[in-house]
This record gives sequence, C-alpha cells and structure tokens, in this order.
Amino acid sequence: MTEPVRLNRELSQSGATAISTGLAFAAINFLAIAQLLQNVDARLAWIPVVLAGVVMLAVRGVFAELDGMRPSAAGIRVWLAQAMNGRVALVITLTYMTTVVLVVAADAYIIGEAVAWALQASQAVAIGLVALLLALATWINLRGIKLAGRAEQLATFTAVVLTLLVGVVAILHPSTDGTTPVGTTGQSGWVQAFVLGIFIYVGFEWVTTNSEEVTRPAIIPRAMLMALGILAVSWAVFSVAMGVTLDNADLTSAYPQLLVAQYALGQGGMLLMLAVTALTAVNTFNGGFITLSRFMYALAREGTLPRRLSTLNDRAVPSVAVVVLGVSSLVLAIVVAVSGSFAVMVSVGAALETGIYASAAYVVWRLRRREPDAARPYRARGGRPLALTLVVVFALLTVVAATSVGATTSAAPLLVVLGFAVVATAYVLLVVPRLERREAEELAARRAARAAQRAARRDDA
Amino acid sequence: MADERESIPADELLDALGDYVTRANASPRVRKTLAGWSCRIHVTATDEDASYTLVIDTGTAAPVTEGLVGTPDLVIRGHSFDLAEIFWGDANPVSNYMQGAITTQGRAEDVMRLDAMAMFVFLGQ
Repeated sequence: MTEPVRLNRELSQSGATAISTGLAFAAINFLAIAQLLQNVDARLAWIPVVLAGVVMLAVRGVFAELDGMRPSAAGIRVWLAQAMNGRVALVITLTYMTTVVLVVAADAYIIGEAVAWALQASQAVAIGLVALLLALATWINLRGIKLAGRAEQLATFTAVVLTLLVGVVAILHPSTDGTTPVGTTGQSGWVQAFVLGIFIYVGFEWVTTNSEEVTRPAIIPRAMLMALGILAVSWAVFSVAMGVTLDNADLTSAYPQLLVAQYALGQGGMLLMLAVTALTAVNTFNGGFITLSRFMYALAREGTLPRRLSTLNDRAVPSVAVVVLGVSSLVLAIVVAVSGSFAVMVSVGAALETGIYASAAYVVWRLRRREPDAARPYRARGGRPLALTLVVVFALLTVVAATSVGATTSAAPLLVVLGFAVVATAYVLLVVPRLERREAEELAARRAARAAQRAARRDDA
Repeated sequence: MADERESIPADELLDALGDYVTRANASPRVRKTLAGWSCRIHVTATDEDASYTLVIDTGTAAPVTEGLVGTPDLVIRGHSFDLAEIFWGDANPVSNYMQGAITTQGRAEDVMRLDAMAMFVFLGQ
C-alpha cells in the first residue's frame, strides 16, 4: 500500500461526520417517519428506528471495507464492476443514480408544499414554488457556487439540534387539541416499519465519495459510525414526538413535521420547523446536485453516458448534467405533486437503497473469496457469512419496500422501480455498446498514431 | 494486463508533462474556464523512479518540477504508461481513474478539473 501523504485541503473528522449525517438528514425522512407511524404504536416507534440503526452498523461495515480497499469518488461504480458483470454493474449504478434524483425531487416537493401550507396558498402555488426552488438550485450549481465545508457543518448541526429540540418539547407537551394520537390505534406492521426505519439512514454512506480527501483511512468509517448514532437518536426522538402529537389524518400530509412543531410550540415553532426543512434541503441540493452531476460527467467521459453530458461551462461546471438533473427532478416533483403520490416515493427510495445495500454486501462476499489477501484497512465483522446474510435480508427488504406504501400493500413502488430498471437495462444493452465501441476505436487510433510517432522519434535519435 | 504495458522512461514522461503544460497554457479555453483553479499536483509513476510536481496557479501551469515539492492538493499515482497516456492526450484522466489504472488522493473536483484541462487541450472543447 502507498503511504498516505498530507494534503493541503484535507477532510477532517467533523467535516466527514457532517457530510455523512447531512446527506441522510433529508426532508423526505419526515414523511418516512409518518409512514412508519402508520405501522406501529407511537410509543414504540423508536424501536424500529433503533433496530434499523443496529442493522445499518453492518451496512456501514460493508461500505467501510469496500471504501478501504478502493477509495474512490466513483465508489459504487468501481466496487460493483470488480465483483460482477460490467453490464449488470452499470445497470445497478444507473438505477442507483435515480435515488439521488428522487431525494432532490422529494425535498423540493416537501418544501413547496410546506411553504404553501404556511402561507395558506393553493397547490398551484406549491408547484410554482417547487419549480422556483429547483430552478434556483440549478442556477446556483451552474454558477459553480457550493456550500463551504464549515457552512455545511453548521447547516447540519442546526437542523439536527432544532429537530431534537422540537421533538423533545413535543414529547413533553403532547397533543392537546382533542385529536387522537396514533399511539392508541395499535397497528402491527413491524416489517414495513423496519424498512422505513432503514430508509431514514439512507445516504449516510455517500460520504465514501469523499474518501480520497482524507489522509487517515479511519476517518470515513468513524464518520459513518457517528452519523448513524446521531441519526438514530434524532429520528427516534422525533418519531415518538410525531406519534404522540399527530393523528392519522395529520400523518398523511406532506408536512407532518410542521404540524408537530405547531402543536408543540405554536406558530413560531411551525416557522422554526419550516426553516429546519429548508436547511435539510440546502444539504440535499448541495450534495445531491454536485455529486450526481460530477458522476454523470465521469460516466460520460468514460464513454458510458452520452458525450454531451461532459460539456463544461465557463465555470468548469458540467452544465448539461446539472440541467438534466434539475429538469428530471422538476418533472418527478410535479408528477408527485399532481398525483399526490409522495408516499410512493418513500417506498421507491427505500426499495432502491435496500437493493444497493444487498448489492454492496454481495461485492464484499465475492471479493473476500476472489481477493482474500488484498489489503483491507477496514474489515467488516462477520466475514462472508454476515455478508451473505445481509444480501438475503436486504433482498427481502427490497421486496417488502417495493410492495408496500405506508401500511397498505401496493404494487406501485415495484412498478416504478421496475420502470427505472427496464430503462437502465435497455440503455446499457442497446446504447452503451455503441458508445464503448466508438471510444475503443478512437483510443486505438490515438495509440497507433502515438506508437508511430515514438518509433519515428527513436529512429531519428 | 499490467505486464503488457511498457514502462515509459522518466525523461519521456517529463517531456510528456512539459508538452502538456505548454499546450494547456496556450489554450484560451483552459485560461478562461480554469481561471479560478489553483492546485499543486504530485505525479508519481509506480513502476519508474519518476515523481513530478505540477503547479497550477489561477488556471496557468508553471513549468514542471522534478521531485515532489511542497504539500499537494492532489496526488496522482499510476503506471508510467497510464500517466504518459494522460499527458499525451491518448487516454483521459477520468477514464483511467474509473478503471482503477491511476489512483488519486485529493478532491474529486480537482481530478475533474485536471480532466477538463485535458479535454480542452486535446479535444478542443
């Protein structure tokens, strides 16, 4: 292994922890918690959240091992390609990318709905706000403006602390408006609740895309561990708070967190929670847009996405990729707003992520056999047996997530996931071979010309 | 695969780097688009005794220095052939990076800008 060197701009432990926490601390999690509460008793809502956190420790081990072996900003693409057929790996990678679009769209939708509700405005206004927000996020990205590391840490810290604060106050001063808190209805969808519990941690592993910015390999695994702890505590508290504050009708709204704050702290509390929701979106837009647009650029340069996606503007921003991301998020957010199907988005996101976790565990299982002696700065506990167990468990959870929405069985998420997968598969089988052939021919021509030039130079010498 | 690649001698790699710098500085697109980019890059060949420092200051590259000088923003390591192919413009840095032919330490944004530089110089984007 090469000795690590000092870098001018290193990612610190606190910076990595903030990134890991901030990427997972998305506004869509409030909707996931609301759905979770449709499945279990409110006073026990913290149990699936904490249990999911415990299982996510094993997922963290999987990502830490892969990241240690091959630290790369293109991590998931590189890891999958090492352990499975290249075409399959690319289909999974492209499907995974839709998760980011989904989360960006969801956050824009939630903020639009929340602001419209706070202003007592119509749904048309909400859709207008969503469009405005995504246009603003796209413009900011095209200008090359991004949140500085310290600002990102502050935004994450503020969002977590305020969410905890509102949650604690709500638990100490539960519903007083005569509604029936969900805790009294006694639901029993523990498996669905567990899947939704998994969903609220989704994104914590995206910090591995920053692994080349650290000089001590232990920073990323430790950051993921701390992020899981922070997420477990904050969402466990807020799930109970939501449960003892809201009734079943409130839980189906697109802004349950605002209702919790309003019941617990009045109008001022509601506005505070609106600010928290906006802060979570800042992180999502900052991290999501930057990560995905650069990833699309890299795939385009590699020759697996159309070359046009590698176009850079005068600020060295992959402008076409950013615009494609902004437009896709807008279309998705409008479809969700018009159809009112935001609960389906949560299930789709959960299904896609649990599928990725199963795939990552499979890579660990495969590489442990294929490269038993490879350097592993971090080794996931449990070895191959635990990796295989995770493959099976997360594959089953994918099926559960894809066939349920809240407390009801539904094929809608499955159809959406299959739709994404079919489009990705068709693209990989029909378009990618053409792009790869062209890249290979051009590389061969350049190499031949270079070889001739070098030979001529040697002859001259 | 690695065995099939020929090692590029240190002087030829240095020539490739020097030529790359000259072409980058002559490119108006590089000067304009990467005007806000400053980066100290350490380049090390893993199969040859060859290490270089490339300093880019607000979009302009300084002459290449032999050896590793100063604290880098970006470190690039790879087989001399893979490194030379990048600076000759035959392969792009991102492709080599995605395929694991080169490894980096530093911000992905800097890798992308180095790749952008190659794209402007050799593809005339």
